[in-house]
Amino acid sequence: MKSYLKNIAVCIAFTLFITSCSNDDDSKPVEGTFGDVELFFDNGVSGDALTLGNSYTNSNGETLKLQRFNYIVSNFVLIKEDGSQFTYPKDDSYFIISEEAGTFTVHLENVPVGDYKKIKFGIGVDQQRYLQGETAQQSFWDLAAANNMTWTWSTGYRFINFEGTFTAAGGDGVSRNFMVHQGSNTATDNYIEVTLNLPTTARVRTEEMPNIHLKSDANVILDGDNKIALRLNMNPAGTAASIMGGENLISIAENTKKMFTVDHVHNGAGTHH
Amino acid sequence: MLIWKTPGKTYTMKRIALFLILLSIFSCQDDDSNYTEINQPLDFIVPANFPDTAQDIGRNFPTQKGFELGRKLFYDGRLSRDGTVSCSFCHEQSSAFTHHGHDFSHGIDNLAGIRNAPAVQNMAFQSEYFYDGASNSLEMLSIVPIHNPVEMDETLENIVSKLKQNTAYVKLFAQAFENREVSSGNMLKALGQFMTMMISANSRYDKFVRNEPGGTLNSQELQGRDLFQSNCATCHKTDLFTDHSFRNNGLPPNPNLNDLGRETVTGFARDRYKFKVPSLRNVALTAPYMHDGRFGSLQSVLNFYSNGVQNTENLDPLLQQHPTLGIPLNQTEKEAIIAFLKTLTDEEFIQNPLFYFRT
Repeated sequence: MKSYLKNIAVCIAFTLFITSCSNDDDSKPVEGTFGDVELFFDNGVSGDALTLGNSYTNSNGETLKLQRFNYIVSNFVLIKEDGSQFTYPKDDSYFIISEEAGTFTVHLENVPVGDYKKIKFGIGVDQQRYLQGETAQQSFWDLAAANNMTWTWSTGYRFINFEGTFTAAGGDGVSRNFMVHQGSNTATDNYIEVTLNLPTTARVRTEEMPNIHLKSDANVILDGDNKIALRLNMNPAGTAASIMGGENLISIAENTKKMFTVDHVHNGAGTHH
Repeated sequence: MLIWKTPGKTYTMKRIALFLILLSIFSCQDDDSNYTEINQPLDFIVPANFPDTAQDIGRNFPTQKGFELGRKLFYDGRLSRDGTVSCSFCHEQSSAFTHHGHDFSHGIDNLAGIRNAPAVQNMAFQSEYFYDGASNSLEMLSIVPIHNPVEMDETLENIVSKLKQNTAYVKLFAQAFENREVSSGNMLKALGQFMTMMISANSRYDKFVRNEPGGTLNSQELQGRDLFQSNCATCHKTDLFTDHSFRNNGLPPNPNLNDLGRETVTGFARDRYKFKVPSLRNVALTAPYMHDGRFGSLQSVLNFYSNGVQNTENLDPLLQQHPTLGIPLNQTEKEAIIAFLKTLTDEEFIQNPLFYFRT
């Protein structure tokens, strides 16, 4: 009995092995139908370049020195002039942009060829995806954990991790730490999506990969349509500012609707920068 | 996913137990051969007197091997930094998976937390977990105690590297999951499957409600049930005995802890001092009581509701509808309510060998 089963198992394993080999050969897209798209996220502060360790002053009268600026972008959709959409496969549509890790690109593969006029994407992780549990997103969870983008006192993702030190004008001049962790919790869903027009059509061809160059403005997180002063969000001991919940997260979600703009689109083969 | 029965009165937990036992016998035989792996979906049945599940368990439907793996993990200290603290350390079966006799559960390095370990039972029927609702996913919730520096103080990544070195685990993961991987996702999934199956629905009260043999309540218990329904059941609703809401029940805050409750998660001042309404199933076994385990007996709990409620921020309006705050109850009434609460004890659940890891 045992050896009989063993034989079956060996046969099945062998068949699977053969089948999986042949599958690989078949998985390539049909010639002339698909191409790639690359998005480059150029992080800045109010029009200036963002460099970790450098300081900038916002309209809340606070000078911030950034030490971390990481965020999750997800659920990419490319939209043609006639309004028809290509939704990138959800399982592969979660990315982390990290200033400290030097990760600035999102590479989309197997995009149907065509001329695209708009892109849509989310900031963070949608509740639907989150509720599928960690298993549905294992590789992304691991990536997020490695980039300080997971919560552990609660369960879920940080959508934006914005940290550094700050001094407030008219204060005691002491520089204090701040931590802004944007995300959803069991009370509020702070995942948002933005739709951006492309100034130039992004031409996707088998041999042509458009490079969409976006600018992200970290300043809008605290100094956008809603103003959030770090000095008013101190911990009880007064040693650091921390923003991780409540109305602030709703305000930040609103602010970050204006965090991204598309600066330009490079059409043509290959990459740039 | 093949076996998903709609709520039916003819199915009892005993049948599930029998089914599981049969499966476990078969799986023992399987272990003799390295080349066959039978991983059956388990029979998950919603007890006839329960509301529907609050979690979509179809996403992570319990299987025999996933359940076994989850049980092994639940009882394994490897999930903590120094190997000493397992889930079962604070969630003991004999106390309906609470930490008996501890107001604050002590975890790793004998550090104490600020909250009393909640019961692990009927988890698939809950929409949010922990006293403050820090998680809304049965699959993800284990992340919280694992990472808490005063509980297990470990990371998912470390646990996975420890488990990968253990051949028994490598084999169990391969049997339990289609992708065969020892991964943190599969680990959380297995724990979720184990907790999905931890249903307590066979107390004397349940048998009374379902009109089953052994389901008799005496006159004091029946009086207690009436009092419970008119005074307590708005919050401790349905046969789960909770409405899943977060409320401030007027406990004087402990200034040494300054536990803000639900506000910790949401950041909203309107959630200050609100804590999750707990289920009262097996409540006679889960002393001490309240989020910080301040009361050692049910008598003390009822004394608090009759004359200890304080008007702190966001005090629940339901506790402000009488001339004095709280719920007016005399001693006879309290004793009747306690007698009723004791009928919620489910001996089959706390003695069920399926939830106890035997090696």
